[in-house]
Amino acid sequence: MFQLDLKSRKSLYEQVVDGCKEMVIRGELKPGDRLPSIRDMSAALTVNPNTVQKAYSRLESEGWIYTVSGRGAFVSEGSHEPDTVRQEAVYEKMEVLMEELFYLGVKGEDILSRLKRIIQERRGEI
Amino acid sequence: MIQVSSLVKKFGSFTALNGLDLCVETGSIYGLVGVNGSGKTTLIKQLTGVLRPDSGEIKFDGEEVYDNISVKKRTAYIPDELYFLGNYNLKSMGEFYRGLYENWNAERFNTMAADFGLSKTDRICRFSKGMQKQAAFILAMSTMPDYLILDEPIDGLDPIMRKKLWGYILGDVAEKQLTVLVSSHNLRELEGICDSIGILSNGRIRFQGKLDELRQDLQDMSLEELFIHAMEGKEDA
Repeated sequence: MFQLDLKSRKSLYEQVVDGCKEMVIRGELKPGDRLPSIRDMSAALTVNPNTVQKAYSRLESEGWIYTVSGRGAFVSEGSHEPDTVRQEAVYEKMEVLMEELFYLGVKGEDILSRLKRIIQERRGEI
Repeated sequence: MIQVSSLVKKFGSFTALNGLDLCVETGSIYGLVGVNGSGKTTLIKQLTGVLRPDSGEIKFDGEEVYDNISVKKRTAYIPDELYFLGNYNLKSMGEFYRGLYENWNAERFNTMAADFGLSKTDRICRFSKGMQKQAAFILAMSTMPDYLILDEPIDGLDPIMRKKLWGYILGDVAEKQLTVLVSSHNLRELEGICDSIGILSNGRIRFQGKLDELRQDLQDMSLEELFIHAMEGKEDA
């Protein structure tokens, strides 16, 4: 489960949407798993049921979940279309961090070689 | 639905409420905010039929509330200052409530008392302030109300109890369209829980609306900022 940050500028509804996506990405919720009911989710997060309802509708329209009337909401099979949105968001974060490295006087080549090493590590080449 | 129109209440020469209009939709959680002395408790005492308005209307699903037993049976109210009968413990208070409210749910009463870890046999007047609030809350929720009116409900409760308490309320809102009006100064807490908000000032509702719509209009202002903004606007006028 995830927590909401009332101090965040991100709206609660977006936090619920992102929280659910994280759970799917991390595998805490697997395709076919049932999401908590609106009632339970609302009580667990201490947030208005309308907020959860709105978040679930958004997740459904983006293809992350599907609802079966009377039975609840379930995680969809397969890949999710909006991954590109998320990727773009992470790239933006990366740009901010790169900027910070430049300010600290790190050279472009050094950043590149570091990135290469990370990729090689991932692939198991090191 | 709770509808209040042109409500006026005077105490001697002092006008506490001055033509107040307010609307709480069924299944909605309405946050009532306002500076100290703005009339929140006066309004709540009329919503619960404790005080009689000088003029104006208060209707619950179209029915006038004052002296109306059928509305009061469906309404639970937790006041800021709690009152329990002298020597009563939770068990005897439960029996007293069962005689008053026909929808009394003994099963929920027992579950909640165990969940909050309150003794049913110790006298309630010996409970701490926070525990008394929990006791009032258990009694209120066990009447299975359609309307819940809360005056500064989270005062004196620790974060764990607050979360538990809201869990029960939000569950009933989601499940059976419980209608809630809550007054509080804890704007951050209200922000997540309420869907609508009303700002009370000088005996009137200055600002009323759905929180997510308000936020779009005001570029993601927090409720605290919105409140200060509305109160400053008043001084300009």
